[in-house]
Amino acid sequence: MSVLVLRLAAPLQAWGASARFVRRTTESAPTKSGVIGMLAAAQGLDRDDDAGLSRLAALRFGVRIDQPGTRVRDFQTAHHAVTGKSMPLSERFYLADAVFVAALEGEGAFLDELHTALRAPVHPLFLGRRSCPPALPVELATRDSSLLQALRDEPWQASGWYQRLRGKEHTVSLSVLREPVQGEEHGDILRDQPLSFAAAHRRHALRSVVSTTVEVPNPRAVAPRVPAAAHPVPRHEPFDAVEEETL
Amino acid sequence: MYLTRFRVNTARPGARRLLSSPQSLHAAVMASFPGLLPTTSTGGAEGPRVLWRLDHNARAEVFLYVVSPGRPDLTHLVEQAGWPAAALDPDTPGWQSRPYTPFLDRLAAGDVWEFRLTANPVHQIRRKDGEPTKRTAHLTPVHQQGWLLDPKRQERAGFRILEKPQDQRLLPGGTTHHNHPHHGDRYQLTVRDERALSFAKSREERSQAHRVKFVMVTFDGRLEVTDPDALRRTLTQGLGKAKAYGCGLMTLAPVPTPPAPGE
Repeated sequence: MSVLVLRLAAPLQAWGASARFVRRTTESAPTKSGVIGMLAAAQGLDRDDDAGLSRLAALRFGVRIDQPGTRVRDFQTAHHAVTGKSMPLSERFYLADAVFVAALEGEGAFLDELHTALRAPVHPLFLGRRSCPPALPVELATRDSSLLQALRDEPWQASGWYQRLRGKEHTVSLSVLREPVQGEEHGDILRDQPLSFAAAHRRHALRSVVSTTVEVPNPRAVAPRVPAAAHPVPRHEPFDAVEEETL
Repeated sequence: MYLTRFRVNTARPGARRLLSSPQSLHAAVMASFPGLLPTTSTGGAEGPRVLWRLDHNARAEVFLYVVSPGRPDLTHLVEQAGWPAAALDPDTPGWQSRPYTPFLDRLAAGDVWEFRLTANPVHQIRRKDGEPTKRTAHLTPVHQQGWLLDPKRQERAGFRILEKPQDQRLLPGGTTHHNHPHHGDRYQLTVRDERALSFAKSREERSQAHRVKFVMVTFDGRLEVTDPDALRRTLTQGLGKAKAYGCGLMTLAPVPTPPAPGE
């Protein structure tokens, strides 16, 4: 099995799983439907191409929270551009300054195809909401390993300032939200398994998510400061020279 | 001449009082000589005198070293700031005193010793023309080392500070960014434990102008004897200023033999 590893970093991201109507919430980590939708955009799939979507939705999905970010609320009072009439008041939530590593496990050739598509996407890429473009190239690599192994091996992608902030920790513990392997106990349930993105009937199925942690080295860990008292005073024994005479 | 070592019991209030005031400690050291009257001059520029030094090796390991022409009696220091109960046995009076003259006589040109010196590195400056010169402390490690490395001072004192092998030097010598000469880390010499002292000579005198103010630093290093007579004079009469306040006493210790390869 191969794994496609993505880095999802942006000033703003929004990953809604149960958002409806005027209150558009965000989960604290990327949803499968959001990432699959981004891959579908990269491939240029039509919205009602359910067959193409099912190939993507069959990939096993996992995400690592490298830098949790801050949840921000946008109280939106927009007006229609032409008529000037007020749009409905809406509340939109975003994750600011967050970094995630997402991994998709599947067949190697298909993942290579997706990797190429991400480098030259048909439609522009965005992280959960159209107004959230990625800050850095999204694709990292395709690897020949398992999903969990890929999330464990990937270096810490958090920003430099965040890594220095946790500089006292030589290894950091990062949460991983992934789909269970066969025979593993089921975890939480989230409705973000995409069935159809068709404008007329957008549908999602339930998906179970197992939450674990992985230990990743911190490249910007600093050695603890040695107090001045720890520097030893050089040994000096004048009696060593004198005593030879008296004995 | 005698070399004496006394370990200070830093937990005792008497020790705190002595360690906090060089004036008190100087008085206590001078009181260790039964034959010395308070009015007696403690020696002019010539002739041996009483020198002392405090070695702060660790927070609770503080040694008082005294080099003196006569054998001292530190009973009063043991009672105030030592371990009097342990000193009841006459073989262990609470301090160690050894004749120093045999060691001094054994010094020969070419010998290599480790040394420690606590000193008051100063120079005389004149800030503008016509002004009398003023004694001023050296305040940076470069200048403090430069004070001891002064070739004339080394020659007068009878020793030469050894240089490091080329492959152990980390800093090249040269000049500072102000174009002052800088010795890099050419010499086997370290300077540490700088203390800027300011204290009143007596309780009555409270004005700032009458306080005693000076800077003392501790040098550690390795030297070669060039002039045994001059070095004997340095070891018994002290080097530099502020000798009454614990500066100027240099002691020598054997150079540790490196462990044999394969050990």
